[in-house]
Amino acid sequence: MRSKSPGASVHRLRLLASLLALASLTTACAPPRPAGTLIVASKARIDSLDPVQASRSGQMQVLSALGDPLYAIRADGTIEPRLASGPPVLSADGLTARIPLRRGVRFHDGTPFDAAAMVFSLQRFMAIGTLGYQFSDRVKAVRASGSHEIALELKAPFSPLPRLLSAIFLTPVSPTAYRQHNDTPLNNRFVGTGPYRLSFFSGQQQRLTPFERYWGPQPANRGLDLVTLGNSTALLGALRSGEVDVLLASGLEIDHQQALHRQAAAGRLREGSGPPLSIGFFSLLTDQPPLSNATLRRALAHSLDRRTISERVSRGLRPPLRQLIPPSLEGSDPGAWPAYDPAAARALFRQAGYCNGRVLRLPLTFRSDIPSDRLLALTWQEQVRRDLADCLALEGSGMESTTAYDQLGKGALSLFFYDWIGDYPDAENFLVPLLGCSKVEGSRCAAGNSALSGSFWTAPGLEQELQRSSRIEGPGRQRLLQAIQRRTAAAVPYLPVWLMAETAWSGRRISAPQFDGSGRLRLDRLQRLPGDAAAVSAPGRAAATLAVSPGGPEARR
Amino acid sequence: MSRRSDLLRYLGARLALAPLMLWLIASLVFLLLRVAPGDPIDAILGPKAPAAARAALRAQLGLDQPLPVQYGRFLADLLHGNLGTSQASKEPVLAIVRDSLPASLELGLVALLLAAVLGLAVGFSGIARPEGRIDLAGRLFGIGTYALPPFWAAMVVQLVFAVWLGWLPVGGRLPATVLPPEGTGFFLLDSLLAGNGRQFLGALRHLVLPASTLGLLLSGIFTNALRLNLRRALGSDYVEAARSRGLSETLVVLRHALPNALLPVLTITGITVASLIGGALLIEVTYSWPGIAYRLQEAIAQRDYPLVQGIVVVVAALVVLVTVVVDLLVALLDPRVRF
Repeated sequence: MRSKSPGASVHRLRLLASLLALASLTTACAPPRPAGTLIVASKARIDSLDPVQASRSGQMQVLSALGDPLYAIRADGTIEPRLASGPPVLSADGLTARIPLRRGVRFHDGTPFDAAAMVFSLQRFMAIGTLGYQFSDRVKAVRASGSHEIALELKAPFSPLPRLLSAIFLTPVSPTAYRQHNDTPLNNRFVGTGPYRLSFFSGQQQRLTPFERYWGPQPANRGLDLVTLGNSTALLGALRSGEVDVLLASGLEIDHQQALHRQAAAGRLREGSGPPLSIGFFSLLTDQPPLSNATLRRALAHSLDRRTISERVSRGLRPPLRQLIPPSLEGSDPGAWPAYDPAAARALFRQAGYCNGRVLRLPLTFRSDIPSDRLLALTWQEQVRRDLADCLALEGSGMESTTAYDQLGKGALSLFFYDWIGDYPDAENFLVPLLGCSKVEGSRCAAGNSALSGSFWTAPGLEQELQRSSRIEGPGRQRLLQAIQRRTAAAVPYLPVWLMAETAWSGRRISAPQFDGSGRLRLDRLQRLPGDAAAVSAPGRAAATLAVSPGGPEARR
Repeated sequence: MSRRSDLLRYLGARLALAPLMLWLIASLVFLLLRVAPGDPIDAILGPKAPAAARAALRAQLGLDQPLPVQYGRFLADLLHGNLGTSQASKEPVLAIVRDSLPASLELGLVALLLAAVLGLAVGFSGIARPEGRIDLAGRLFGIGTYALPPFWAAMVVQLVFAVWLGWLPVGGRLPATVLPPEGTGFFLLDSLLAGNGRQFLGALRHLVLPASTLGLLLSGIFTNALRLNLRRALGSDYVEAARSRGLSETLVVLRHALPNALLPVLTITGITVASLIGGALLIEVTYSWPGIAYRLQEAIAQRDYPLVQGIVVVVAALVVLVTVVVDLLVALLDPRVRF
């Protein structure tokens, strides 16, 4: 055997030392952060910050910090004027709404905000907005009726108008900055009136700095870096390692949300949730056998054990839901849909000719690219096998989201699970997208939202009731919305399963995340806490959070 | 002289075939996208937009036109170097490619360098004693790294070094507080040229994990290729002849066996580079690396036809280019190659 020479040993030691030095240099050189600025991470990649391009929750979240809506929904659900200086004044016929605008507001480029700027922005949105239909379906024309007043000519009286105008995609932009982009989007800039201005933009990173001439209170922090991380593990790891300060739940897997929830409960993180404005539900194809049989649909409704599914799939983070309208909104009727009752389900299946040696085999389609959907389908499948094996067999199969949405409107999916969040928090934005129908054929909807949503269900007079519910307000509206829900629940064209709320977590030295009534994180209220204020008292939840547990929607909007 | 003209003829033939290959690939992608289920309108507007809004967007995107008309437009634009406009972001596809391709190339080239150094070192290390412990370990390394599922390996590396130990960042190309350097899109190069140490270190720290993971996964190919070719070369007649002339074993290996064993490795490198351009998808997704494979995956999910078509055409063009260059290099270096 050859003995090692001292020279070789020294050489190896030098090599090892060099490697260690390189490793420590690489690992220790994390750049310092500017004082008072925060890093907020989410999964949402932002392709454009032009309001006309906004259609995804990530875009809306950033826009809510860069722009102001005419009205805003407070965390308690009430409406406050923002760029409007008062509530809309309606004409006697309810077809014209005059909105006074706030004075002394400036755009980020220094130009003044006035009625002409608001009209420019709304007309631009109506012309080229991806969600332009949300506005132009209700509003015929927009004009300036004064230097600081606009008039909206409505197609029909529309009582949730302030809520529609709280949608952040209607935020005004500077006509000076967007004049060259009247008919094309301006993706990588934003010149609005909000508390922050955009100082850097890329799909994966946006830098927001406080706007010194903002008309309202200045943000509590000195700026934000919003970053995109492409997968749930990376997001979780980034918060744990302190690489980011705040994390938005949207896009996080349920297991990871649960882990963060536990850490918040133990006082190691702070947690905040917005109002639950997203619903998860099954769409039932009602115009083709076997689910054209209403008795079978009711039996199916009784067979769904929402509590078990909520516990097993979301670990309780997504509470069970038995209505189409989120409980925080007007028209809520928490027990509208049939409750879990296997005995009642069995009786109905028998009535429809099943159970006596005849099992109903029903294909259940779920979105294969959303892990919790698969779990939900498998859990319900097994729960039905436990309770009603002699009557019903669910045959689950996955389909990629975009493909499934395409198939849904073609009537190809008997039973399909997905979710929905309205573009603004009002009952109308949950009922009309699911029940609206432009071509009624008895109790079948041949064209319209109900067909696009995969149920093809309607009822005589339902469309008129929906339209009336958008015209009236007060207790009468509340009663009508509840009546529509109960009527729909009796026919079971949809099967609500659970409720979801946007959630965020922050590190111990950051203030607890707070949300507004539209479900957007209040980025302007985030701040780094002084050392002695940083202790988190268990369970560490934000004071402003609502009663519902977290569980962000995983799909579009 | 005759060899040079043969080489030029060979190069001409390969380059002449390139447009035909690109046309075939572009046409195939165009057709496959249209045949595949799913509608870009659903991806942009969601499933519940009213029919009128859907029809308006369809017309705006030109998707209401008959397929031959859409195909004709696509080809005409392609011939003029116009890859179209992304349906989702309304950004020119060329700009998106220009933004994301350097990220993939930077990651791929560094990973390839690491793979080559590590793989060749391991492959070469066992040559002194074939079937010995080191050789066996090298063989296991080659098979093991090749067989590792990329997604799993990337997750484990990320969990250990970024989440648990916190030594390196979990993802992205730069720290959130550092803005990207201006220039070519190769952040290491740009920050060096700008003399910005903070940017350079930030970019380097973010590159370490994805490049090491990808490099490790690719290194097995080099290990196995070198090991097998070197053993074959060492058993050949010309090596025996060299030994019989009394040359030392080191000289025999370095001067006679290794150059010949490295030629097939060059071909493998070419193939690896080609697959790296679009094939590092799982690494890019895991490490949130904003490369072209990541964008391609997003574009497919959104049914963004122009973006998918544009990325595939650009990647195909690069693959063709790299293949031609490698073939030429092999032809130049290996006198046995005939055209």
